[in-house]
Amino acid sequence: MLELSLVLKNAGKSLKKTGKQMRKNYAAYLFLLPKLILFTLFIAIPVVWAFVLSFQEYRITEANLFAGLDNYKQVFESEAFRKALINTTIYTVVTVPFNVITALIAASFIHTLGRFAQNFFRAAFYLPTVTSMVIIAMVWRWMYNYEFGLFNHVVGWFGMEKINWLGQTDSALSAIIIMQMLIPFGVGIILYMASMSSISDSLYEAATIDGANAFQKWFKITVPMLTPSTIYLTLLSTIGSFQVFTQIILMTGGGPGYATETLVHLIYKTGFRDFEFGLAAAQSVVLFFIIFVISVLQYRVLNRKG
Amino acid sequence: MKRKWKLILMMMMAIATMIVLAACGDDSDGSTDEDGNWTGTITIWDGPRWAKEGDTSGEEGKGNQYFWLEEKIAEFEKSHPGVKIELVKVPWAEMPDKLGVNIAGQSWPDIAPVDISGSAVSIDHIEQGVIESLNDFFTEEELGDFYENALNAYTYDGKLYGIPNSLTVHTMLLNLDLFEEAGVEPPENGEWTWDEFVETAEKLTFDRDGDGEIDVYGFSTYILPGYYEAWPFFYINGGKPLSDDLSEFTFDSPEAIEAIQALADLKLVNEAAPVSMGGADVGGTFQAWANEEQRTVAMEPWATWAITSAQTANPTNFMVANYPTGSTGEPITIGGVGGWTMFKQDSDAKKKVVAEFMKSISDTDEQYLMSQSYGIFPARISAAEKEPFADNPEMARAQEMSSQVAMLPRHPEWKKIDEIIQRELQLVFNGEKTAEEAMATAKPEVEALLGE
Repeated sequence: MLELSLVLKNAGKSLKKTGKQMRKNYAAYLFLLPKLILFTLFIAIPVVWAFVLSFQEYRITEANLFAGLDNYKQVFESEAFRKALINTTIYTVVTVPFNVITALIAASFIHTLGRFAQNFFRAAFYLPTVTSMVIIAMVWRWMYNYEFGLFNHVVGWFGMEKINWLGQTDSALSAIIIMQMLIPFGVGIILYMASMSSISDSLYEAATIDGANAFQKWFKITVPMLTPSTIYLTLLSTIGSFQVFTQIILMTGGGPGYATETLVHLIYKTGFRDFEFGLAAAQSVVLFFIIFVISVLQYRVLNRKG
Repeated sequence: MKRKWKLILMMMMAIATMIVLAACGDDSDGSTDEDGNWTGTITIWDGPRWAKEGDTSGEEGKGNQYFWLEEKIAEFEKSHPGVKIELVKVPWAEMPDKLGVNIAGQSWPDIAPVDISGSAVSIDHIEQGVIESLNDFFTEEELGDFYENALNAYTYDGKLYGIPNSLTVHTMLLNLDLFEEAGVEPPENGEWTWDEFVETAEKLTFDRDGDGEIDVYGFSTYILPGYYEAWPFFYINGGKPLSDDLSEFTFDSPEAIEAIQALADLKLVNEAAPVSMGGADVGGTFQAWANEEQRTVAMEPWATWAITSAQTANPTNFMVANYPTGSTGEPITIGGVGGWTMFKQDSDAKKKVVAEFMKSISDTDEQYLMSQSYGIFPARISAAEKEPFADNPEMARAQEMSSQVAMLPRHPEWKKIDEIIQRELQLVFNGEKTAEEAMATAKPEVEALLGE
């Protein structure tokens, strides 16, 4: 009993302290209020609502019906979801390491250049990031065109047979992956360059005295010192890759067959074509947990290595 | 004191933010007076239709393709003081998705140009009360002026859920310049058998510049969920996707399998179609037939809008032909019906005004005008009797095909069924599966949906 009263007393004290601090910083809280309202309205409520909806059968003009775990059962039994999950995983496993590593290498080279050249390459590599994926996808669809696309022209120079890049099951996903790999990871390059600037010169000077060559300095100093950026970029890139959508809907529609079906494209179709919002919400929740678990694992593994 | 003012200023900012957000959700759209007359705002969505002759305004030089509806709105507003009609311009390609999102968010327009076959709204929406029935606004005599298949397309459970304003059919479009270049005679009256069609397609496949590579192909089309240009070919031997009572999957019948495989073999065996045939590139397929700089395909099946396009935007020397006949000996095509649908209304008085406007844009004169200008067939008998295609032999030929029309099955799960079938068809057309294997794969998945 005595313990309980002590706990309550402490809790009361803590609340009082928090209240006092809030009163003290009221100006900051008031400035944060509009953002908090927007966040609550457009992010927090929809996310919570999606969780609730995943246990319901969505009805448009009447109250939703409670569906228990039916939606989740459908998700895990669905062949389309299984194929979409496999495709999305392959896409992520190939593109994320490639993009992060190439960004690191590109940033390392650019960092050694003069100021003018640095600015030029920084802008050049960042340009695709500010270009709409719709435009990029349309250009790439042209490049993959069987009859007059750029790739089949190049293939022709080597006397090889033309490839139906987006029309064959065995090449369509690879074509989408190649496209993603060849679009420079602008954010990564910019972030790595910024982080490289903050590495102390004394580390490199000490390594030089110890007789380290340029590669050793890069591998033993630069790469480890960039670990926080690498963790951030890997997480960012993984989340983005699991949400791949625009290029799929514009270039293949998920086909041929289910060769390029991805999770977000499937969720979109389930929700806005089939109007099964309960099932789409359940698919979204599963995707959320997949991304969450992978992000935590990536963070722990990379952080430990760092 | 200074601190107090700061606090007041910030409180005001927060309140202003909340007011702005609250205003975003304001949905009041009208009022009804004591006599039951409604005044307020009606929202209508529409896609681009046709521009006035000579109008080349706009970024793409296509002119104002909404002027017809804008003029009808102005007329209606003038005769109905206090009623305002807001036109929301939506590209056709975005219409189903945008409408789907708005339906889900219960922020649908009052009127939209959609059918109830499942592209944007479905039978499930009718069952959930999203679509209003229009029976109260039509007399039997008025309904008698519509073609029966047009009314059927908007009828569910004995009630009318839209006003049909157009009929379309899929037709074969033949580029006569390429026929001439290859020295091939087009089919007489656009009528032919499957064997004649294959022979023609093979002859139209040729190497134009003598470099050893084929430059022109006889035929092409694409396979994509929601699109049916290729489907009449699958019906020519008597095959159809579902049984009449919608309880069985029947695209695995020998008649359907044979027809599907035969069309795929036109590319895979006869090599009279480009590798891209059966892909998902709708625009690219049309460009290959219609674009003056390409013209690499001599024959393609398209809906009637393409006839207007080949007469105006992409001037082409072409003719309209039937799909070839198969073992049934009867020509067949797939048709569609367009029209206006009214979404759920809270007030009977508003519903009456909305219906009045819908009728005003669907009367005989408007359907006649739309037929002439927009490349569709009128859904009203009285408009068709005015012979809108007297000076347009290609459209008149396409209209003859209306009697060959088979409608797609109207199953509540059709969109999912369609996707299962079309995804398997894609694999047949790229040679990864035979028609028999593909339809055997589709069968259990489709029948699981039919059984629900």
